[in-house]
Amino acid sequence: MYFQKKRCIAMLLAGGQGSRLKVLTEKTAKPAVPFGGKYRIIDFPLSNCVNSGIDTVGILTQYQPLELNEYIGNGQPWGLNKTHSCAQVLPPYERHDKKSGWYKGTANAIYQNIDFIERFDPDYVVILSGDHIYKMDYAAMVKYHEKNNAACTIAVRNVPLEEASRFGILNTNPDNSIYEFEEKPPKPKSTNASMGIYVFNWKVLHDALVADEEDPNSSNDFGKNIIPSLLNAGHKMMAYPFEGYWKDVGTIDSLWEANMELLGKEPEFNIRGDERSKIYARNDAYPSSYIDGDSKIYNSFIAEGCEVYGTVRHSIISIGCTIGEGALVEDSVVMPGVVIEPGAVVRHAILGENSKVCQNAVVGGAFEPDQAKEISVTAKGAVVEANTVLKPGEML
Amino acid sequence: MKTMGIIFANDGNISALTEKRTMASLPFGGRYRQVDFALSNLAAAGVRHLGIITRYNYQSLLNHIGSGEEWGLELEEGGLEFLTPYAMSTRNNYRGKLESLHYAMDFLTYGDEDEYLIMIDSAVLSNIDLNSVLASHIDSGKDITIVTKTGIANGEKMLDMALKLDDQGNVQDIVVDYAASSEYDASMDIFILSKKWLIQQVKEHIARNLYHMDRDLVLGLWQAGQLSINVYRFKGHVMYNESVEEYFSNSMSLINKEIRHDLFHYNHPVYTKVRDRVPTYYGEDCQIKDCIVADGCMLEGKAEDCIIFRQVTVEEGADVENSIIMNDTVIGKDAEIKYAILDKNVTVRPGARLVGTPSNPIIIKRGETV
Repeated sequence: MYFQKKRCIAMLLAGGQGSRLKVLTEKTAKPAVPFGGKYRIIDFPLSNCVNSGIDTVGILTQYQPLELNEYIGNGQPWGLNKTHSCAQVLPPYERHDKKSGWYKGTANAIYQNIDFIERFDPDYVVILSGDHIYKMDYAAMVKYHEKNNAACTIAVRNVPLEEASRFGILNTNPDNSIYEFEEKPPKPKSTNASMGIYVFNWKVLHDALVADEEDPNSSNDFGKNIIPSLLNAGHKMMAYPFEGYWKDVGTIDSLWEANMELLGKEPEFNIRGDERSKIYARNDAYPSSYIDGDSKIYNSFIAEGCEVYGTVRHSIISIGCTIGEGALVEDSVVMPGVVIEPGAVVRHAILGENSKVCQNAVVGGAFEPDQAKEISVTAKGAVVEANTVLKPGEML
Repeated sequence: MKTMGIIFANDGNISALTEKRTMASLPFGGRYRQVDFALSNLAAAGVRHLGIITRYNYQSLLNHIGSGEEWGLELEEGGLEFLTPYAMSTRNNYRGKLESLHYAMDFLTYGDEDEYLIMIDSAVLSNIDLNSVLASHIDSGKDITIVTKTGIANGEKMLDMALKLDDQGNVQDIVVDYAASSEYDASMDIFILSKKWLIQQVKEHIARNLYHMDRDLVLGLWQAGQLSINVYRFKGHVMYNESVEEYFSNSMSLINKEIRHDLFHYNHPVYTKVRDRVPTYYGEDCQIKDCIVADGCMLEGKAEDCIIFRQVTVEEGADVENSIIMNDTVIGKDAEIKYAILDKNVTVRPGARLVGTPSNPIIIKRGETV
């Protein structure tokens, strides 16, 4: 079989469990978690690839892959199903030399798929994760990498100093070249946080992966092992400053916040934008939504296939939801296929896919802006029985 | 047993709305084109070999359907074929369905495996299970199955064809291009017949300069006692969009829950071209009541009893009532619109006022600024 040589391909790490999303990732891998009314988290890096002209994407899956695999399918929604393009799902597999099995770490996941990468004989490989909401032109980053003649370029963003110890911090020279990497430093020297987006010269990465695999003490992780070892070996490594919106949606609170940041007349994250930065998603064949005469909707997103009879304020209502008569939904993220029956009240909640809030049930409550957030969450398919209460911060 | 489908895209026209498009590509219901219903019905019935006959203005139709991948019809064998005048054996426009089928003979005769043929019009909308129609056809052993709907004929509406049945469902009378009275069933312009038999009939008719499907083949053969007819009465909701008035009132009827749910079954979805728009944003001060709303819109003003297509903007203070607003149209601040159909990409200037009537809605053509 003939494979076209590619200047650049992307490998998307989508195998993480996302355990901090709790009930939302019990049956779903984190990249397949719904976001913004009609998307899933993985749509963002995948669409960024397409919009950056990267047409070959390997997607490394491991945890609860069924739904994610179905969602990606043949890559058609992102236009990645053409003769010389692909969205290839790469699950762990068994090899004759036993150097296989479950992916031990992010670097090991790429190591196990060296054969896939080599088919395309790429000059550069972009490593991405399926954990973040952002729009980014990877092509500009690759150009920057090329111009600086770097072996590795890492996207960085400025974080507040008090938060810096939660991130991998890159200490740089004035020309943005990296002289030191510190994983979650207690006393950070700078505020350049790694975004987990890397561009590598494939030859350099290949050799580093092989060497890393031979080290029995390595945890086979990009942040912990590959990046420090390349720095120690004296490779030229660059930081690529990124200023746009970027949000880790790894926790219930941050997932809720990121959804809320889509709202408003001038939202913090404007998901609209022009044709070249469009976010693509697999589309279900839902009809247009119906908005009833007795409904009231304020400052909200409502996707297709919804029937709204009640009141919706400052919320995201995803595809295929029903909001019954007299129901109230406020400050909430309602995932696809949810039914909220008449008279129910939902506040500060994330309702998982196809969950149901029965008549006159109450989910969550109000809180002041400066109060600690207590988001109530329902798992996929959960049912909040009629006239019952799911308290603020509770999960079902 | 395999079945071939033929969709007729061009029958009729409704004023300015079809000036530059086929009836098949007329936008409907917020996110659809009329042909989506015929295509989805055929695809759901497992038809994988499909021709679309169109004679003019078909650029928007080609653009909409493309390879047919949204309907699962982008196949290497069979799949979807556009039968434009240039793709057929003549450059002449055809005078009737039989003549168009004659011109499309290469397509019809290609592949012997298709035993039955489903003919369907794109301007009569329904969500129909064509497999049960086919089963009924085979069961009946008759030459042709005609799908009909009761309650449409009223002595005023012009019908392509209407049939009067007795209590056993036997055909008593057939009329063509006639405003039949309410005891008649209206044809839904859906026919099922054996492909081989139809090819023979097309040849026989064209040889005698007969080209009209309803008048010559159905009525003519039946009167001569040479046609056995099975009538399949469809129970679901049907929309005949044959005039602006009908198009307008049928669009508005989607606000009725029973009609909406009948046309858009959860288990039998209607597919359309994917546009990847964001969810619709409802502003802090919007007042949206009794509306059908597609995706990608920015709604900040007031809309009541409207069909709002994709990527429509209704600015603050605008007041839209009883109107159909097609894709990408922008309604400026404080504009007032009643009983209007705004085609795609229309710009309504701030403060503008457009007021029509239910039987005569104002139509603003594609791309215009008012």
